[in-house]
Amino acid sequence: MAVSMRYVSREATTNLWRNRMMTVAAVLTVAVSLALVGSALLLKQGAAHATERWQQGVNVVVFVDAGASHSEFTSIGRQLDQLPYVRSCTPRSQAWDYNEARSIEPAEVFQALTPAITPSSWRCALSQPSEASLIVQQFSGKPGVQHVASPSAQIRTMETVIHVLQWAFLAVAAILLLSASVLILNTIRMAIFARRREVSVMKLVGATNWFIRLPFMAEGLVQGLLGSLVAVLVVLGLYFGLLDQTKTAANQSSLIVQMSLGGAEVAVTCIVVLVVGVLAGVIGSALAVRRFLDV
Amino acid sequence: MIQFENVTKTYKGSTVALRNCSVDIEKGEFVFLVGPSGSGKTTFIRLLLREELPDSGRIWEAGREIGKLPKWRIPYLRRNIGCVFQDFRLLPSKSVFENVAFALEVIGRPKHVINTQVPQVLDLVGLSKKRDNLPGELSGGEQQRVAIARAFVNRPLILLADEPTGNLDPTTSLGIMRLLDRINRTGTTVVIATHDAGMVDQMRRRVIELDRGVLVRDQARGVYGLDGSVSAAGAGSPTGLPTEAAPEGGPDGPMAAEA
Repeated sequence: MAVSMRYVSREATTNLWRNRMMTVAAVLTVAVSLALVGSALLLKQGAAHATERWQQGVNVVVFVDAGASHSEFTSIGRQLDQLPYVRSCTPRSQAWDYNEARSIEPAEVFQALTPAITPSSWRCALSQPSEASLIVQQFSGKPGVQHVASPSAQIRTMETVIHVLQWAFLAVAAILLLSASVLILNTIRMAIFARRREVSVMKLVGATNWFIRLPFMAEGLVQGLLGSLVAVLVVLGLYFGLLDQTKTAANQSSLIVQMSLGGAEVAVTCIVVLVVGVLAGVIGSALAVRRFLDV
Repeated sequence: MIQFENVTKTYKGSTVALRNCSVDIEKGEFVFLVGPSGSGKTTFIRLLLREELPDSGRIWEAGREIGKLPKWRIPYLRRNIGCVFQDFRLLPSKSVFENVAFALEVIGRPKHVINTQVPQVLDLVGLSKKRDNLPGELSGGEQQRVAIARAFVNRPLILLADEPTGNLDPTTSLGIMRLLDRINRTGTTVVIATHDAGMVDQMRRRVIELDRGVLVRDQARGVYGLDGSVSAAGAGSPTGLPTEAAPEGGPDGPMAAEA
């Protein structure tokens, strides 16, 4: 294709500047919608992380009386293992539980505790975490069992809320992305309408469609790129802001820590945002030009 | 160079723009296309530019049947055809030089070609001194010269003109016609759609007359009105322009081609 880069960039720059208010509008719309898309993607990944961590972690803890015999302890373990929705159970000694209590129990409660009176326990991961309440019912009254602990209903609610939220975010982001594309399309269409005389002369003297189309597509590319760069900045700001929060968080088991993401995931999200922005700009403008090329 | 074979073109609303029209125009000919408004002259031009396709019949141009041309080839066809309109169609924000250069630029000609060809063609149309003026600063005749320069700068095989003198006074029109005649003498085939009777009478070139889409006359060295006796007089143009004898393109004298 014998289209000089200089020609394309000169035409595109002139046009962007001539319609600068529309350019700003298009860039901002792309930025806002893509920032939401990016945030939704981060939230979705975070939620997936948190859910994964919870599910890998202990779902049910069966505390065994401090005075129970070793055979009682192993028999409870065997019964747990036989349940179809239990993936695996790990035994924890009294000393281990005593050490754990040191870090999670309030000081005054811990002071009353000694390794001898601390219960030993079975920590069970479930293949169906929703069945935790069944275990609570079955084992609560058994001989030797002190009590059964399962994650609170609050955590379940939290999971549902996050799932709903991430879909809502994605839906809003999709709608905004669509409106950004329409705005880009409209911006370019106005730019072409203002230059239809030029386009008709170009067609008359035998310019190829690609030659006419390229400057407009470059224009859309710049709008999409600028918008998505702003969006990437927002996403990165969000990420680093939350990262700070997780470092200073008092409770290391809080939701925000559970959701924390790796740098690679954030990088991928940023690349997705950039690519979507550029594609929206280029495809939007290519569609806008099409009608004017039909002679 | 141009050949119409039983071409019919109907627009929506059943207006027949051209009916079963057959014409042969040889390379290097100078042809007037005359007839009242709505007789199909503009359709004739638009078909040649491949802005329209005929409903039936075939059109050859520079050895190609243009109805069979794939869409992506159309720009390359148009590079061989220059076209001039009544309303000039210049770009108001570009100077004379830039307007002409634009035609070369958009077909990807390199800068050194533009810098040699544009001054040449501006010299040909007599506008070398106004190369930096904007179209709005020129008279109508000068603007039409710029348009002709733009149409001719790429040395097309065919130059089409749709009412090129429609907005101009008789003296200026004569200048434009002389310019088109000069271009014709470089070997370019020139087709002019007009209802400027005086001009056609003075030039004494081949005349093709359309009436409501039907070709009613094809006459070498004709005049505007249907008057066979004048054409018999032959050469001796009152404008002093050298009038070459038309090649054996069409039949001499009035011809009814009603289908």
